[in-house]
Amino acid sequence: MSARKVLQGNVIIAKAALAAGCDFFAGYPITPSSEIAQYMSKEMPKLERTFIQMEDEIASLGACIGASLAGRKTMTATSGPGFSLMQEHIGMAVMAEVPVVIVNVMRGGPSTGMPTKPAQADMMQARWGTHGDHPIIALYPAFAEEMFSETVRAFNLAEKYWNPVILLSDEVLGKAHMDVEIPEPGSYEVFWEKPRQIIDLNIYDRNIGENPPRVDFFHGYPIHIDGLEHDAHGWPSFDAKTVDKMQKLRMEKIYQHLDDIIRYKEYFLDDAEVLVFSFGISARSALPAVKAAREQGIKAGLFQALTVWPFPRAALQERFKKTKKVLTVEMNMGQMKYEVERIAPPGVEKQTLLRANGMSFSPDEVLNAIKEMVR
Amino acid sequence: MKKFEIRYGAVGGQGIITAGALLVDIAVELENKFASESPTYTAAVRGGPTKVDAIISDEPIEFPHATAIDFFLCTDQRPYDIYKERLKDNAIVVVDSHLVRELGDTRNWTVYPVPIINETKVGAGNVVLTSVVSLAVTQKLTQVISYDHMVEHIRHWAPKGTVEMNLKAIEVGMNLIK
Repeated sequence: MSARKVLQGNVIIAKAALAAGCDFFAGYPITPSSEIAQYMSKEMPKLERTFIQMEDEIASLGACIGASLAGRKTMTATSGPGFSLMQEHIGMAVMAEVPVVIVNVMRGGPSTGMPTKPAQADMMQARWGTHGDHPIIALYPAFAEEMFSETVRAFNLAEKYWNPVILLSDEVLGKAHMDVEIPEPGSYEVFWEKPRQIIDLNIYDRNIGENPPRVDFFHGYPIHIDGLEHDAHGWPSFDAKTVDKMQKLRMEKIYQHLDDIIRYKEYFLDDAEVLVFSFGISARSALPAVKAAREQGIKAGLFQALTVWPFPRAALQERFKKTKKVLTVEMNMGQMKYEVERIAPPGVEKQTLLRANGMSFSPDEVLNAIKEMVR
Repeated sequence: MKKFEIRYGAVGGQGIITAGALLVDIAVELENKFASESPTYTAAVRGGPTKVDAIISDEPIEFPHATAIDFFLCTDQRPYDIYKERLKDNAIVVVDSHLVRELGDTRNWTVYPVPIINETKVGAGNVVLTSVVSLAVTQKLTQVISYDHMVEHIRHWAPKGTVEMNLKAIEVGMNLIK
């Protein structure tokens, strides 16, 4: 008997969310993410946790924000069209500093696009979909075990940094059934800070770089939580000095903790002549391609980003000291390639393998692209 | 066996997607192998052409979709025409001899035309058992899972009161291939 079982990718994410302590889910079903909501709707009542099917995606994220402030660990799950609708509330969660996990199982777009076909075309929307300067964390697992661990990590990061965390997936990973060993509780970290009793009303008052504490709201104190720019108390303020400070507080709570937030995997990179940069399903096309290249005597390696935002800039820059060829593989018409290009120093040859027609790359296609670069 | 790719094609309702799920469950849970499986899930599952691709391997599976298929079982002409792509030159191909009449170019395949659906109805008593019959056909022709594990799993998996008919379906499948 094996400890491993075959589970659908969406179900792995749902199971991991429950393991991370998610006790409030509000969502609106959409292909290819629906099994997440479906699983939660079956399992959460058994655990005396709350599942609500909302009237749309805007309401779904709104409900999560409210529940999060009331002390719940919250998640919603959607795909591209629903993710578009959620953008306004993502900004609200950033501004008001509210933890919430938002799963986007990416499909072909724009608009209703191709509901049953995979894409990786919401990479930039995850970063810049909501308006205004803002920090964001986005994670993108590729393998079954990572789908569990990164989901748990999404909750931990949301709780630690009081920020929305976007968990990206795609139609292939969501819908494929994969063998996976679900780890035992206790074998992974679940971050939870006991809500701090309010001792003064300046709930946003802290030093730059510090994480906001979880505050025990709704116990008789007049706390103001708003999408407007605000002072330490939460009251609207457009005073330039105050705004400067609040912007820095929100940005630096993320940017001073990159070591904690950024995760990536490196395969065969130490002596690599060609670095393949990829993530999600495309990383799973790239890994066998890199191995096949090695078997043919081509020194190729894979840099797989698990944290896609903030971009793993420093780690990649380190690799470009030795590796002078980079191939970005992504299922879109070119999005993360720009992040790679702007940090790759002059002298690094930059190529791409891009496609947005609903077909994932076969390992052979990635191998051929690698070969083109060493000819 | 390093890696073995299996594709089942059918029309929605014939139960073939269950065959894929059973196959990977047996491989992973009883044989400690690695597996992945990608079934059709669109409106096609209600009467249109459907397929399920399963990969079984001794090593962790990197790319989860089938790329070079070793074994293809298909119970209808439409899914046969659509899904016979990506088969290896030396693939084993099993088709329903009543429902797949036009084989086209069979390359170097070993083709077994057998009356799967009819024998399932007559021999096992219910067309929904096509999944288990197809599983047994797969086991006999490929040994990708063991016979004993197949029987053990079906005994546990079959809903109460249906164990005997499911075991009968295994027998039908084993006898379809001489």
